[in-house]
Amino acid sequence: MTANMAATIPGQSARKYDLGFARWVYENIEGGDKLSMCMQCGVCSGSCPLGTEMDYGPRKLFMMVRAGMKDAVLKANTMYNCTSCYSCVVRCPRGVPVQYILQDLGRAAARMGYQEAKTTDNARFAKAFIWSTRKFGRTDERLFTFKYYLSFGLGEAIKKAMANMSIAIKLVKTKRMHLGMPHRIKGTKDLNAILAKAAEIEKREQGI
Amino acid sequence: MAPNSQTILVVGGGIAGISAAIEAAEAGADVVLLERSPTLGGRVAGLNRYFPKLCHPTCGLEINYQRIKKNKNIKLFTMAQVATVEGQAGNYKVTVKTTPRHVNAKCTACGACSEAATSEIPNPFNYGLDTVKAAYLPHEMAFPMRYVIDGSVVGTPEGDAIKSSCKYDAVDLEEKEKTFDLTVGAIIWATGWKPYDAARIEPYSYSESPDIITNVEMERLAAHNGPTKGQIVRPSDGEPARKVALIQCAGSRDTNHLPYCSAICCLGSLKHAAFVRQQYDDSQVDIYYIDIRAHDKLEAFYQKVKADSGIHFIKSKPGSIVVGEDGRPTVCGEDTLGRDIYANAYDIVVLATGMEPCSAREYRVPVEVEMDDYGFIVPKTGNGSGIFSAGVAQGPNDVSTSVQTATAAALRAIQAVRG
Repeated sequence: MTANMAATIPGQSARKYDLGFARWVYENIEGGDKLSMCMQCGVCSGSCPLGTEMDYGPRKLFMMVRAGMKDAVLKANTMYNCTSCYSCVVRCPRGVPVQYILQDLGRAAARMGYQEAKTTDNARFAKAFIWSTRKFGRTDERLFTFKYYLSFGLGEAIKKAMANMSIAIKLVKTKRMHLGMPHRIKGTKDLNAILAKAAEIEKREQGI
Repeated sequence: MAPNSQTILVVGGGIAGISAAIEAAEAGADVVLLERSPTLGGRVAGLNRYFPKLCHPTCGLEINYQRIKKNKNIKLFTMAQVATVEGQAGNYKVTVKTTPRHVNAKCTACGACSEAATSEIPNPFNYGLDTVKAAYLPHEMAFPMRYVIDGSVVGTPEGDAIKSSCKYDAVDLEEKEKTFDLTVGAIIWATGWKPYDAARIEPYSYSESPDIITNVEMERLAAHNGPTKGQIVRPSDGEPARKVALIQCAGSRDTNHLPYCSAICCLGSLKHAAFVRQQYDDSQVDIYYIDIRAHDKLEAFYQKVKADSGIHFIKSKPGSIVVGEDGRPTVCGEDTLGRDIYANAYDIVVLATGMEPCSAREYRVPVEVEMDDYGFIVPKTGNGSGIFSAGVAQGPNDVSTSVQTATAAALRAIQAVRG
């Protein structure tokens, strides 16, 4: 009865409930074991500078985890709006590492192939960031920003780049951004070997 | 081995200490009652009205003061605290340290010294919301009914003026700190609590605005003998506080502050909502809460408050309180029933800060006592020991529970000293 309750409420679509989802989160998501401490007080969502941008906010998302709303949780935009300011972690009265949980839920969603997770701004930005890291061992602001813009398509990328030109000029003038060849570290090969090893360990730990 | 001393020492003269002392004394035991401040009454004396029956504290305290006056078994020392304790049940050697009051028993509380005084000190009874003359009566329900002269005027021309103003030779500016020894059979720690320091809850900006106050300060604002003579106004400009926010669990149930529920704050805030609504017909009170814990018989009071259309309950622990551009405190957070992100401005914001046992931080009990993780003293320390606790020293208790624990402690102490 309970699983189909939502379908009978007018104006609401049927929701899929995975009753094992909460346990899976407790056991597999970083900080997830502390999620059961949440008392739904709202301090996290109320402290969040991007709280109004999120579809659910951490408090509601955690309740949805408990309710087993796996799909709705992993399709949420809440995780990708987190800027890791840690206000929620610092203020949570029950010691729930809110930011850690959001971060890892977002990664889990991407890993599981949820399209929403792959097309968010954050995911695009992270991809461009890691591209620059792998290639130069550093973040080259110009190239990695443009790489990020390119994920929206060439026309959109040029539009975005032009819109930010005045900021770029100011950055160059104040020596916060350089012109010329990208700076590289000496051992990009070694760095990539380290990153590959890290990915291998991660896969092993997640049993993939 | 028969106990050497049958005297019971009660440390702390708040409602729990007073009750324990009287109960033991009326059962025939010899009792010494110590109080650190100049008067009995403790935190209860500072309330406007108190549960369970919303009496003025004058009522309960007056009855107890009469019982103390009539009982020859109680010896009372104010401005006195325990320095050291040695020995075991039946034979504790206790050293007591007294701080000078500079006023002796000849005082008739006529008030001439206060008129002669010119300097002012922060008024501890009103939590520093106003000042008081350097020669002062702690409050109108002081017991003993005797003035106090602040040490700051000793050796000044003002001090001499105060001394010569007294017709009864009651002023003694030469009085020094003293110690004396007691031998007692059992000790009841009724050292009480202090309000959790609201400034430590940084996101709530207590230090940033005079209009962000604590619940104990609200009691003083509402009390006829408080700094505003009972007018609930904004401390910043004295304007009526018609729109008021009450913030529950400010520091309680929070692993960053006090991890436990302080038990009294929900009903305290419901009472404050009623104070504001009684004072201003057009007032609005918003109570921000995680869940309301109105226990026992007092659920009825909660229902009554809930029925008032001027009082709103918002299920949310605010994320922050900021001072808005117009200077008014603004409460920010998420309404957990609708997921609205709100920012609401108020005339005053009252933080329902919790109770921290004095034994946790401020005052170290100078003898081995068993404490819980939060610094509360367990009711009875070990077998065959003569160390007991009562009131909020024992746990976050309201007044009636404190009195019950005091009676229990009195009985345990009597059993300990009589063997």
